[in-house]
Amino acid sequence: MSADQRVLILVVERNPAVQRLERFFLEQAGYSVEFASDGLNALERARELKPAIMVAEILVPALDGLSLCRALKADAATSHILVLIFSHLHAEDRALEAGADAFLIKPLNEELLIETVEKLVSRVGREKGTR
Amino acid sequence: MTQKISAGATGLDEVLMGGIPANTITILMGAPGSGKTILAEQIAFHNASPETPVLYLTTLAEPLEKFIVHGNNYSFFETSKVGVSVFYEDLGYMIRETGIQTLAERVTDLLIKYRPKLLFIDSFKALHELLTSETERRTVIYDLATALSAYQCTSFLIGEYAPGMVTELPEFAIADVVLNMMRHITNVREQRFLRVEKIRGSDSIQGMHAFAISADGIKIFPRILTPRFSPTYRPKVERVNTGIKGLDDMVAEGFWRGSTTLIAGPSGAGKTIMALHFIRQGALQDEPSLYLGFQENPMQMARIMHNLGWDTEALISTGKLELMYRSPVEMQLDQVAAELFGRIRAGKVKRVAIDALDDLERSSVDPQRFADFIYALIQWFAVENVTCMQTVELSHLFAVSGTNVTQEQVSNMCDNLVVLGFNTERDELRRSVRILKTRGSAHDERAHTLEISGRGAAVTKAKAK
Repeated sequence: MSADQRVLILVVERNPAVQRLERFFLEQAGYSVEFASDGLNALERARELKPAIMVAEILVPALDGLSLCRALKADAATSHILVLIFSHLHAEDRALEAGADAFLIKPLNEELLIETVEKLVSRVGREKGTR
Repeated sequence: MTQKISAGATGLDEVLMGGIPANTITILMGAPGSGKTILAEQIAFHNASPETPVLYLTTLAEPLEKFIVHGNNYSFFETSKVGVSVFYEDLGYMIRETGIQTLAERVTDLLIKYRPKLLFIDSFKALHELLTSETERRTVIYDLATALSAYQCTSFLIGEYAPGMVTELPEFAIADVVLNMMRHITNVREQRFLRVEKIRGSDSIQGMHAFAISADGIKIFPRILTPRFSPTYRPKVERVNTGIKGLDDMVAEGFWRGSTTLIAGPSGAGKTIMALHFIRQGALQDEPSLYLGFQENPMQMARIMHNLGWDTEALISTGKLELMYRSPVEMQLDQVAAELFGRIRAGKVKRVAIDALDDLERSSVDPQRFADFIYALIQWFAVENVTCMQTVELSHLFAVSGTNVTQEQVSNMCDNLVVLGFNTERDELRRSVRILKTRGSAHDERAHTLEISGRGAAVTKAKAK
């Protein structure tokens, strides 16, 4: 698959070690990955890049991951973006309440991350098909 | 519930209440030669499988080859796992090339390459030699902690840390578990102990736990604690025949099953022979019985029993009698307790004779610990319904003052206290026996004669006045 055909994932993460691991594992699985280091920047980049999926930590500066998720889902231009909250905080209920489509607890488990992203990607495909 | 990984070293999971919490950072600290690398490799090989790859990073303390050569001395070191599920890498070489500032980056490279579930850095402390300032030290350790916490992996940092470093070095702040391996040397005796200095989000058995190193690796003997539950109340008291003619009649209700009797007396007063009668009687009554001695080896003990005309071999061969010997020079209290209760819980022992407490006391590093140990031991015997006879040597030949006949108040802890001694009658030395205490029963308070002949010991009652 060429670079522009790959599914785009926007990752909101400020820990460079996690950024590096996420980039490596997601790219190896065939995805295109872009980063935002805080919540506001992520909101701007989401509107600009229109990624299929956003993977967001809750504990990020400027706008936390849950508020970011609510903002995305409230905006018609970004509400289609599927959100995976990926955090050290045990906040699955809060994430789902905020409109997140999936939740994973850190630290990073490669198999779980890729499996969860794949499920979201297949949902993107189904939702496109039904439109 | 916290997920845990088995440490693979006998006893350590028990100390850590189920194992090492997964996805945490553990520091294995201790002096040179304390067994840190053995424990680390034991944990590594125990857990390694194709689904659970293990990455073992060596640094600046010892070359990688030495780890392999050293590991080969132990049975857990399965050579077939090296390069398949246990991967060794020389981290020291990598950071010498790129600088200590790149430590977190290099470790992340290796996490990506091997995707380990367990990671070891040995020696982590040796990396401090490359750190030139406190700021650099904090930054590098912080970055490494960030990298390790990013990936689902249980990490172990190994180092020759002294106790004072726990509050000074930054790696102790990031560690979730700190295991301290210690050597306690007194004169020519050496004992090894492990202590959990820190554990986050989990519980552990506090205190110092003895451990031994053998070709099978490290075996830990968790410190014996007082049982958390009381012995079951038995409405019908069962009497136990001690096998010492005349002694049982001195106690109105007899010696109870599950009780502990202390036989205290000077050298030569008959303590050992009474203990031997006690376990032999148990074996004859189909109660598996164990004699734990520290002076005579089993062959010497068997000979003594044979000379008394007892068919000891038959009792031993049927498993009714066991003569267990431990050298008082090499012994560790909790190791003895672990072996003893291993047999008791396997249903192999109903009676125990411990001869003598003095030898156990000498192997203790701390008098208070000895007292606590004996108390816990007696309580556990009661819980397990095991009847025990213990001996202790008294320095005075003729008289006993008060009921606290032993230094560490062991006599107060025991249910029954029997004191042996000597008295002179027309220049003739005679052995005497007197019961000073029986818990929950009346007893004959008079002193009687203890006769020892070629057939053993027997109490000859003094005529009532």
